Amino acid sequence: MVAIIHKRSWRDFDWILALLAIGIVLFGTVQIRNAQPTETYWVKQLIGLSLGLVAMLAIAFTDYRRLLNLAPIFYVFGLVLLVLVLFPGIGLKINGQRAWIRVGGLGQFQPSEFVKVTTAMMLARYFGKNRIEVLTIKEMIVGGLILALPIGLILLEPDVGSVLTYMPILAVVLFLSAIRLRLVIASAILAIVLIPAAYMMGIKTGAVKAYQQERINVILDPENADRRGIGYHTWQSILTVGEGGLIGSRSSVEYSQSGLKFLPEPHTDFIYAVTAENTGFAGCVMVLLAYVILLSRLITGARRASDRMGMLFIMAFVGGLTFQIFINIGMALGISPVIGVPLPLMSAGLASLIATFIAIGFAISVQLRRFVN
Amino acid sequence: MRFIQILVIAMLGLLSVRLYVLQVVRGDRYAEIAVNQRRRRLPIPAPRGMIFDREGRVIVDSRPTYNVILTREDVKGKDLTSLIDPLSQGLDVDKDILREYFEMVKTMPAFESIKVKENASPGDIAWVESHNFEFPELRVEQQPQRRYPDNGILAHVVGYVGEISPEQLQKQSYKDKGLKPGDIIGQSGIEQTYDDYLRGKDGYREVVVDSRGRIQDEIDTIAPIPGRDLVTTIDLDLQLAAEEQLRNSVTKRGVIISADPNNGEILALASAPTFDPNLFSQRITTKEGRAEYVKLLNDPETPLINRAIQSRQPPGSTWKIPMAIAGLKQGAITLEHSNLVCGGGIQIGNKFTRCMKQHGMPDIKTAITQSCDGYFYRLGLKMGIDGIVQMVDEFDLNKRTGIDLPNEIMNYTPSREFKRKMQPRDPEWRDIDTVYASFGQVYDIITPISLLRTIAAVSVDGRMYIPHVLKEVRAFGSPGTPDYKPAVGFQPLDPSRPNPKVIPIPEAIDKTVVQGMWQVVNAGGTAGRIKMDGFDIAGKTGTAQVVGLGKDTGKNKDHAWFVSYAPAFKPELVMVALIENSGFGGTNAAPAVRGVYDAYYRKTRHEEPPGAVKQQIAKEAPEKKETPEKKKTAAVTAAGQQTAVNNR
Repeated sequence: MVAIIHKRSWRDFDWILALLAIGIVLFGTVQIRNAQPTETYWVKQLIGLSLGLVAMLAIAFTDYRRLLNLAPIFYVFGLVLLVLVLFPGIGLKINGQRAWIRVGGLGQFQPSEFVKVTTAMMLARYFGKNRIEVLTIKEMIVGGLILALPIGLILLEPDVGSVLTYMPILAVVLFLSAIRLRLVIASAILAIVLIPAAYMMGIKTGAVKAYQQERINVILDPENADRRGIGYHTWQSILTVGEGGLIGSRSSVEYSQSGLKFLPEPHTDFIYAVTAENTGFAGCVMVLLAYVILLSRLITGARRASDRMGMLFIMAFVGGLTFQIFINIGMALGISPVIGVPLPLMSAGLASLIATFIAIGFAISVQLRRFVN
Repeated sequence: MRFIQILVIAMLGLLSVRLYVLQVVRGDRYAEIAVNQRRRRLPIPAPRGMIFDREGRVIVDSRPTYNVILTREDVKGKDLTSLIDPLSQGLDVDKDILREYFEMVKTMPAFESIKVKENASPGDIAWVESHNFEFPELRVEQQPQRRYPDNGILAHVVGYVGEISPEQLQKQSYKDKGLKPGDIIGQSGIEQTYDDYLRGKDGYREVVVDSRGRIQDEIDTIAPIPGRDLVTTIDLDLQLAAEEQLRNSVTKRGVIISADPNNGEILALASAPTFDPNLFSQRITTKEGRAEYVKLLNDPETPLINRAIQSRQPPGSTWKIPMAIAGLKQGAITLEHSNLVCGGGIQIGNKFTRCMKQHGMPDIKTAITQSCDGYFYRLGLKMGIDGIVQMVDEFDLNKRTGIDLPNEIMNYTPSREFKRKMQPRDPEWRDIDTVYASFGQVYDIITPISLLRTIAAVSVDGRMYIPHVLKEVRAFGSPGTPDYKPAVGFQPLDPSRPNPKVIPIPEAIDKTVVQGMWQVVNAGGTAGRIKMDGFDIAGKTGTAQVVGLGKDTGKNKDHAWFVSYAPAFKPELVMVALIENSGFGGTNAAPAVRGVYDAYYRKTRHEEPPGAVKQQIAKEAPEKKETPEKKKTAAVTAAGQQTAVNNR
């Protein structure tokens, strides 16, 4: 029996998804090495990849339903981690944010990346029951609360960038849980109208401070913003991307934008700019294509899922992933503000990498069990 | 779910459009900006050419010094005022000067680097290196610094270098040479005239820097082209003798110029008081240096003025030499009948202009020897103002001499227009004006260098060479190599001027005047006291009235002139001396030139000059001062001996 399951498992295993993810990580590792040739981030990334693969396989061959049934335990465990990180002895403060826990030998671990998975699990579990009616107010409030707890803790770090990446998780879950279409459209219209209006009002009334306004201006017109001050990151990233041209820059790695430290955080937040400098438009489009295939693969998996819980989890993951990719690359291309959001699978960082592979493991597990009912 | 999938593809599609714009459409532009921000050109200053005397002794050289600079690129847009306090403390620079520099940088966007401290000490350099982390934009840069002789020797001839000024940068002529802010250029004297030869061309190191401006690597080095060495016509032995004579003179103010009349080469040019050119090349950026400069500028004795070419004085009786030549040439008098009445003076209308003595009816030679004013009043009247103007024109006295030193001024010479301008209430030219114009006062106000050129022309039968201080620009490189540049000799700065300009003077006329001048020194003339047996000096004394008669005492005494050449009938050197406010030329100016003749005699005849007191001439190049004590003693002794000469 075990042998039969195994045989079938190997056949149904989503190889494309797994290999694509591994491929992106390996490609990313090369870029991390380009970004920081003298540091060992790329080695740590390979270790992270191994750990991530182990986690992915372990989860893939476990019944996701059992795991999701345990979701509240994981969720609470995640919250505990988020509380722990706030204690000065445990949490590590970098750039004013106490968001990291030191892990011996491997560097730092960012709980907020990991908690995304547990939160998505919790949401999937809560909204995963088969349903016919539209969402009730109560359900929406509970969903909001599930999200609000980790977000609240993360805001204490404070890490606004991470918080933003939590939003689409809930949004997708609500969207797929038969939320009234009117509500969706209404909130979309409200957002389109209200956000610019509020911004204008803010400027007039002084509620939006000058530096905040400057931050927005950087995105609207990076060439004329303060290139040495607040617009520095964006401007340098644009230069780095631009220098890549069609097939990559001709200058050597040591004299690249990142090698000479013109581009800040090249191995994490701006790994895509480094990729752009080294591989040019060709390489960049390939990376985007890889992400599109990966996401499509996940959506296909979600569609084939045998129950709502599995589908919801995968789609919540897709939502978070897409948003994060968009914000991070948009940041590198100067169209979204600079907030410290890693590029999934490419930025150096243990937690993000392992969490992503855990989620992929889930998706594979869901796929493997689509006929086992 | 399909909706979400479409949304995903749309979002990533949007990113690829943006990518296309950044990388393909604008890629080249961004790449250029990116490359520029990590490349720096650090100039390697070209060593400036050295300046030698005619015998190859070093007059001016350069030594390496270190400047602390702020690289412009790294401080762009930064608020520099926060740097003032730590830098002024760490490097011991005046805060006001830093503030001034930083202010200047704001208005001069082209500055490559900002000098924070010149002449940095080893301690300063160590401070910069140890504070590299806090102030990565600070850098130590080597710069050759000009070193001029001590005691202001030759200051007015060699001039000095200085940083190009904002005003100069605006001028097209400087822009055409590719000069940029911060460049060191010649600002006076030979340094200015021959700047293009001396300056060379800076090279540069092209380096890669990181985001904080720290040098990572060197990509390219363009070696500087060193400036070319100049050999001047100056003879240091004569120069030192001339300067010593001025130092020991009564008022310590004046000028002595000595030249070779056969080619116009200036052997010595001393103007006193002098100044220390090292002020401009070394100390001008310090507070003390500025104060020193202001003091020089406001000094009533005008030490910065090169009196040889930038001061005008009435030539007094030395004017009688060109007058005598012109009078004979124009036929106002003839060699056979050159006698004119002295009359103790002349009565024009109700005004009597007197002569020193009653000279009877001297001939031209005696009139020169005795410096008879009465004779020349009448000669002037015979020539008329037109004759005098013709003389002025012939001897180029209404032009600059064309010496290769900057800022030579023009003479004032007699003419009808000049009187109209000078006395608008009485614009008519009258006989009394002709009288004044004929004995070197009132309408005749000329530079010592133009007088030297006139006398030199008389000494060599009317050949008027352009006085100059450049002997040659030394050849550069070895012949046959591509960057070889041959030696360059003196060329008139105005190529249209003939060199020499030849004034046709019949030999007999010239000889007569020369004999008159010979008698001045050798046969009972006004300068008999400097006679040298076996070395015939021909000369003429002069006294330039500074104020009206009767007030000429003390500070306002007349200027003493002495013009001369020797040997009288085969001249090797011509000399002009002016001692300001010292009285009669024969008493004060003539002995001063004797000191220089002695030095020349010792050098060329290899024996002690007849009738001279033994004198020590420093054989060493002036800037070598291993034995300052010894030299001082020598100078003091020499000074004592000079007084002895004067008292005789």
